[in-house]
Amino acid sequence: MIRVMNFFCVALMGLAILALYHVSERTRVARLELAKVNHEITRQHSDIAVLQTEWQHVAAPSRVQALAEAKLGMSDSASAQLASFDLLPRRGENAPLNNTPLRNANAVLPAGAGRTIAVSAPMAAPPVPGM
Amino acid sequence: MREAPTLYQRRIVIGAGLCVIAFALVGLRLVHVSLLKSWDGGRARAPIVARADLTDRNGELLARDIPVKDLYARPQYFNDKAEAADSLAEATGADATRLLKAFENARHPYVLIARRVTPDTEARVMHLGLPGLEFEPSAMRYYPDGRTAAQVVGVTDPDGNGISGLELGLQPEIRAAAKAHGRGQVATSIDMRVQFILQHEVAQARKKFSARAAGGIVMDVNSGEVLAMVSLPDFDPNQRGLDHGDSRRNIMAQDVYELGSVFKIFSFTMALDDHTLKSLDEVFPIGQGFRIGKHIIHEAEHMPATLTARDILAQSSNIGTSQIVLRSGGAREHEFLAHMGLLDPVKTELPETARPLYPTVWGDIQTANVGFGQGIAVSPLSFVTAAASVVNGGRRITPTFLKQNGRDRRGQQLIDPQTSLKMRDLLRYVVTDGSGKKADVDGYDVGGKTGSAQVAGPNGRYIPRALRTSFCAVFPVHDPRYVVFVFLDQPHGTKETGGFALAGWTAAPIAGKVIQRIAPLLGVPYKPVPTRLARESPL
Repeated sequence: MIRVMNFFCVALMGLAILALYHVSERTRVARLELAKVNHEITRQHSDIAVLQTEWQHVAAPSRVQALAEAKLGMSDSASAQLASFDLLPRRGENAPLNNTPLRNANAVLPAGAGRTIAVSAPMAAPPVPGM
Repeated sequence: MREAPTLYQRRIVIGAGLCVIAFALVGLRLVHVSLLKSWDGGRARAPIVARADLTDRNGELLARDIPVKDLYARPQYFNDKAEAADSLAEATGADATRLLKAFENARHPYVLIARRVTPDTEARVMHLGLPGLEFEPSAMRYYPDGRTAAQVVGVTDPDGNGISGLELGLQPEIRAAAKAHGRGQVATSIDMRVQFILQHEVAQARKKFSARAAGGIVMDVNSGEVLAMVSLPDFDPNQRGLDHGDSRRNIMAQDVYELGSVFKIFSFTMALDDHTLKSLDEVFPIGQGFRIGKHIIHEAEHMPATLTARDILAQSSNIGTSQIVLRSGGAREHEFLAHMGLLDPVKTELPETARPLYPTVWGDIQTANVGFGQGIAVSPLSFVTAAASVVNGGRRITPTFLKQNGRDRRGQQLIDPQTSLKMRDLLRYVVTDGSGKKADVDGYDVGGKTGSAQVAGPNGRYIPRALRTSFCAVFPVHDPRYVVFVFLDQPHGTKETGGFALAGWTAAPIAGKVIQRIAPLLGVPYKPVPTRLARESPL
């Protein structure tokens, strides 16, 4: 009986060792995967930071203005504020209805010596029924 | 029969057993370290970020540390040091002589080849197939907008320490933010849209009028936030050296100038606040000159025989202003300017600052001179700060380069609010009926004052026909939000200006253009109907 018990205990210990090794190995592999993922996240963050910087560089107003003048033939012109940005509809929002300040915006732009241009603007598309 | 082991034999066996166990443990640890540990990839290496990002008030990047690599070599691994030095010099652009000298110096086992190696260069170096090369991760400070805000943002040295501008002035905040958040942010008060517009217009004007230098400032009069500061000539912060004609000097903060007639703003503020000027319709004799002792004060331009006080400011009469400030006297003028903060260096997050220059003896002639902006030299930033206090209801403002989220930071009451209101109306009158007409912008009620100062030469005498012109604008004048200051150092008249280089022809139009472009961006309401003026109500 004692021999059976001993055998059983040794077998149990062996199984426990195997199970522990298995768990330990899985943990090690998981830790390795985690390290790889963390490494990748760090690298991606680093790449994103560089890309953001590059974007800021290529989208800099000085660069955009130079390109607009050189490639599109655009130039500085008189501008006037017709409405506040706050009044503009956001993507997915309904266009402003009639009689809103935005639809009735108008201004007089200086256009060179002694001349003015009157601007009266429906700034947004008419409201679509059912929207 | 075998004899039982003696005590010493047992001890030897136990000792040997312990040694075997110890060696076995060391062996196991060696296997673990050399075989297993190297496979787990170690911890993810965080990018080296010593400094947080600097952003403008809308989150646009002004400066960021980007990851680069520094290349080092261990010369003892090179078979042919001369060939290695030549190859590395060709691949990286380093000096071959320096490399060879370092490789042959036995005291340098680890030699820096090049800092901030780009991926292209790294590929070229790897292609050489040399042993003993190491790429150390490092960081490089990059300024995506280049020159646009170079003077105010400043630069860092190769070791990542700020050496000028906000990079130096905000160094503790930048380091603390980087430490706390890995890649944190420090939001400045600068608005890159406004900064670009100001830089563009000032640069164009500098070119057009062939000015030696130029600059501009846009400041929120209620929070003291500096939205834009331009100083030309500027420099490329992404290059270590300076191109021909470039300068790292921020003339708007660290230089002092006699600003001329824009200073009359303070003379009139003092006179109205002290009630030495009771009515803006009071008439003053102007004539051909105004004698003070042995000195005679002249006008820059032809003036009528008499002018009302209002027109003295609008037409920028030196003689009229002299008579007005002499009513208060030198001691009071000195006290008033000190009260407005004009006789002390202005303190901001910018390390660049300048001590004003003013007369040691404040007699009548000095009082008159200072009254129209000669004989006193202040930095443009200091001037703008005091001007903002005049128009913001008369309260002290402390300029800042940190974002304040529109917080009202107005402090101590410096002048009567009624004086501030009258001054705003007067400044509007200068633009509608005086020397600042070219700064007017439909719908934004611009007020302002021109300034054309003579330039002192090296011997202390004024240089003939050399001027420093400026325009200080405030908009919208009925509910002031921003001060726009534009400055040109020694502009030259053009055909378009009829040869005139005075501020009304050179500086005022730039201020108008800047306001026309920035007002919609800043959400300043467009008001087609002009505002009520104080002159419509009795003084």
